[in-house]
Amino acid sequence: MRHLPILTIAALCAALTLSAWAVKVGDPAPDFTATDSNGQTHKLSEYRGKFVVLEWTNNGCPYTRKHYTSGNMQNLQKEWTTKGVVWLTVLSSSPGAQGYMTASAENSYIQQVHASPTAALLDPSGALGHEYEARTTPDMYVIDPAGKLIYSGAIDDHPNDDPSDIPHSKNYVSAALTEAMSGQPIAIAYTRPYGCSVKYHGD
Amino acid sequence: MSFRPHHFSLPALLALAFFAFAIPQPASAQHSSATAPHVTVSLLVPPAQFAPGETFTAGLDFKMEEGWHVYWINAGDSGEPPSIKWTLPAGVTADAMQFPPPKRLPLGPLMDFGYEDDVVFPIPMHVAQDFRPAQPQATFAAHVTWLVCREVCIPGKADLALARTAWSKPAASPDVDAAAQNLIARFQSQLPKPLPATATATFAQNPKGFLLNVTTGSKQTSAQFFPLDETIIANAAPQPAQPTSNGVQLTLTKDENLQAPPQKLNGLLELPDGTAYEIHATPGVIAATTTAPPTVFTAILGAAGLAFIGGILLNLMPCVFPVLFIKGLSLVQSSQQERGKLRAHGWVYTLGILVSFWIVVAVLVILRAAGRQLGWGFQFQSPVFLALMAMLLFFLGLALAGQFEIGLSLTSAGGALAQKHGYAGSFFTGVLAMVVATPCTAPFMGAAIGYALAHPAWVSFAIFTALALGLALPYLALAYFPAWARILPKPGAWMEVLKQAVSIPIFATVIWLVWVFTQIAGTSALIGLLAAFLLLAVAGWFLGRWPGKTIATTIAALILIAAIGTSVWSVRALGMPSPAETAALASMIANGRIASSGAPSSQLPAPGSVWQPFTPALLQQSRAQGKPVFVDFTASWCLSCQVNERLILNRADVQQRLHESGAVLLRADWTNQDPDITQTLAALGRSGVPTYALYPADPAAPAKVLPEVLTPNIVMGALASLPSPPKSTAAMSLP
Repeated sequence: MRHLPILTIAALCAALTLSAWAVKVGDPAPDFTATDSNGQTHKLSEYRGKFVVLEWTNNGCPYTRKHYTSGNMQNLQKEWTTKGVVWLTVLSSSPGAQGYMTASAENSYIQQVHASPTAALLDPSGALGHEYEARTTPDMYVIDPAGKLIYSGAIDDHPNDDPSDIPHSKNYVSAALTEAMSGQPIAIAYTRPYGCSVKYHGD
Repeated sequence: MSFRPHHFSLPALLALAFFAFAIPQPASAQHSSATAPHVTVSLLVPPAQFAPGETFTAGLDFKMEEGWHVYWINAGDSGEPPSIKWTLPAGVTADAMQFPPPKRLPLGPLMDFGYEDDVVFPIPMHVAQDFRPAQPQATFAAHVTWLVCREVCIPGKADLALARTAWSKPAASPDVDAAAQNLIARFQSQLPKPLPATATATFAQNPKGFLLNVTTGSKQTSAQFFPLDETIIANAAPQPAQPTSNGVQLTLTKDENLQAPPQKLNGLLELPDGTAYEIHATPGVIAATTTAPPTVFTAILGAAGLAFIGGILLNLMPCVFPVLFIKGLSLVQSSQQERGKLRAHGWVYTLGILVSFWIVVAVLVILRAAGRQLGWGFQFQSPVFLALMAMLLFFLGLALAGQFEIGLSLTSAGGALAQKHGYAGSFFTGVLAMVVATPCTAPFMGAAIGYALAHPAWVSFAIFTALALGLALPYLALAYFPAWARILPKPGAWMEVLKQAVSIPIFATVIWLVWVFTQIAGTSALIGLLAAFLLLAVAGWFLGRWPGKTIATTIAALILIAAIGTSVWSVRALGMPSPAETAALASMIANGRIASSGAPSSQLPAPGSVWQPFTPALLQQSRAQGKPVFVDFTASWCLSCQVNERLILNRADVQQRLHESGAVLLRADWTNQDPDITQTLAALGRSGVPTYALYPADPAAPAKVLPEVLTPNIVMGALASLPSPPKSTAAMSLP
C-alpha cells in the first residue's frame, strides 16, 4: 500500500534531480540519443565496448579553426577512428548563432575540410551540450568501453588560437586514449577546456 | 583616444573603414594603437624620456565596443586573456602585465571573467642603472594578442611601438604624457593589494565546496571571489556572502571534477567599495559560529519552498491520507454550515498542524542544544509511542468500521480532546495529522529537515512552518473555496459505507505500526499490545452496545486505561532487554529473512551474510584495507528503506554487482538511536534514513551519497564510478 506514493515521489524526485546531476570524470557518462547530419540516430549506450570521443565544434570559432585549418583535428579523427574509436563531433550552436549548420551544409563542410568523424551530431537545441555541460569549442570528452567518462576538458595544453603551437602541444585526448587502451590510469583526466563559449540557444 | 568606438554611427564606421583601406600604411610604420574589429588597442608609455635607474609604469589599453569584452588572467569558462611580448631597448625590462579586478560575465550556463568598455593593464618598467643610450631615440615595441568576444569571439593581434628619448641622466623637468599617466593610474589604483599582515584568509572544505573566511578588519556586507586556479571553483555558481564581525565569509561551490582537496585557494577578493585583495587562503578551521552555511534569505526561501512541497506531498502518504480523508468526511457533514465557519475550521486545523510542528521543532532544538543528536522520526524509536499510536488507530478503526460511534462526528480521532466538536476537534485533527505524518520521511523532507537541523533555531522554525503549511494546504483550500466544497457529494447513506471503507487503510496502518513495534520491542511485548487491542475492542463494544450511557462510557474509559496500562507494562516488562538482540533481529528483518518463530540464536545472521552490522571502526578498517564500502543506513520503521532493500538492493543483479565490485556491505541500523550512526549520517550531511553512501577505498576521497529512492541503475552506476580494479581495466582495453 505504501509502494504507490513512494514510486510517485521517486518519479518526481528523478525529474527534480536530473537537472542537478553533474557530469563528473570517473562517473558513468550520461546516455543520450542524437541525430547526425545523415539523419541517423546514435545512442551512446549502443557504443558500449568501444571508446567514444565527443568533440564540441563550431566552425566559426577561431579556436576550432586552429585545429581544422592546421589539419590537427582531422588527423586525430583519422588516427583514432581507424583504431576503433567512435568519434562524435557535436554541433550545439543554436539556429542563427555562429557555427549552426544544417545537415547538408555540415556534410559538405566535412567533405571540404576532409574531416572524418564517425558522425556529426546536430544538437541545435543544446540538449546534449547542456547534458554534458560543454563549455567551449572545442570541448573534448573521452568515454571508455564501460561507458565511464575518463577525460573531460581541453584538447591540448596550449589554450590559444595559434596553430603554430600545435606541433609542440601535449594532446590530452590522445594521451587519455593511449593510456586507457594500454590499461594505464589516465594521468590528466580533467582540464579546463579552452575556446569560444558554446553558442547555446538563449545565450 | 578619448573617443569611444561605440559612439560611432554606422556611416561613421563605414567612413573609418574606408579610410583604413584608402590610406595604405607601411608595415614598418610605428603605431602606438591599432583599431581592430570591436576594439582599439593602445600602448601607453607616459614618460617622453627615460634615464638609467628609473622606473615607470607603462600600460596596455583596450577600448571595446558596447557588449564586447576581453578577459582576465583566468578567463573563466571560456576565453583567453590578452598577452604582450616586448621588444625593448637593451637595459630596459618589463614586468608581467597586471590585471585589475574583472567583472563576472555570465553567458547562459557559463561564467567568464573579464572587462567591458575600457581597461588598462599596467606594466611596471625598469631602466637598468648601467643603461647607456645607444642613440637618442629608443623604441618600445610590443606584439600584442587578444581575444575579444560578445556572442562570438574574434582573436586579434597587433604590433605596437612608441619612440621615446633616451637620456643618460634623469631629466630635471621630465616631460610626461599626462593623459596616459592618469589613465594608467586610474587602473593601477584598482589593482589587487596584498592582504594586510593582520588579515587572514582561511578556507574549509565541505561536501559542496568551500567556505572562504577572510578577515579584513571590518565587517563586509558582500564580496566576490575570483579564482586564479582554473579547475577548483565552479565559476558560474553564485557566491553567497555572510558578513562576519571583522570580514566576510563566502560559500564557494567546487568544480564538479575536483578530485583532491586543494592546498590553497588562490584568487582575488573584491569588496563592495572596489578594494581588491590577493588571496592565498590556507586550509583552516572556521569558527563554529560561522561554520553553518550562510543563512542567506534566498537559500532559506528555497529550503522552505521545498519543505512546503514536501508538506503537500505528505497528504498523499498513506500515513496521512486517512486523516485527510476523515477531514474530508467531516467537511461533507459540515457542507451546510455557513462558509465563514468552514474557513475558520480550516484555519484551526492549520493551526493545529502548525502548533504541533512547532512543538516538535522546539523539542528538537532543545535536544540538539542538549547535545543529543536526533533525526526526524525519532518518536518512532520509542516503543511506547508506537504502541499508543497503534492503539489510537486501532480504536479509531473500530469506530469507523461501525462497532461504535464516537459522538456523531468523525473529526474526533484522537481521544477525548479530538472528540470535541467544533474548533477543538479541528485543532486536534491537525495535531493528529502531524503526528501520523512523522514517519513519512519522504525524499523532499530529508533535505529540508537536514537543512533545518543544521541551522539556527529560527531557520528550523521557518522550515517546519513551511512544512506544516504545506501539509495543511489541501484541506484549507477545500475549506476556503466553497466551489470546491460543493463538488463534494451530498451527505447520505453512502457516507456510512465510505466511513467503513476508511477503516481499511486505518487497519493497514495499524498492521504496519504493530510490525515496527515488534522490531523494537520484541514478540513478547507484542502479546501485551495485542491484549491491549482486545481490551480496546471490549471497550468499543460497551460504547456501541449502550451508546450515550454514562455507566457504559465510564466502564469503557476504565478499560481504555487498562489497555494503555497493559501496553506500557508489556513494553517495560516484556520488551527486548538487549539492544544487541534488537539489532540482530532488525538486521535479520532487513535481510529479508524473517524467522517466523524460533530460538533467538537462530535469528542471528548467518556467518556468510553479505551485510555486516555497521561500526565506524569496521568502515575505517575496510577502507584501510583498500576496499570500498557501501553503507545502507536503515531503520525498521522506515518503509522506504525496506522498499529499497527488497526491490533494489536484494535484486540478484544488484547483489551480483555489489559482490563483483569488492565493496564491503555494511548495514547501519538506526531503528534504535545509535550515536555512532547519527554522527556518521551528520558527516554525510544527512539527518535521517534512508541514506545510502558509497565510500571509495581511498580514505581521503569523499563518500558518494545516493538518492533516497534507489533504482538498480543508480546503484550500479555508483559502483561503476569506483576506481576499477586492475583486472577489469585490462578487460576493457581494446587492441
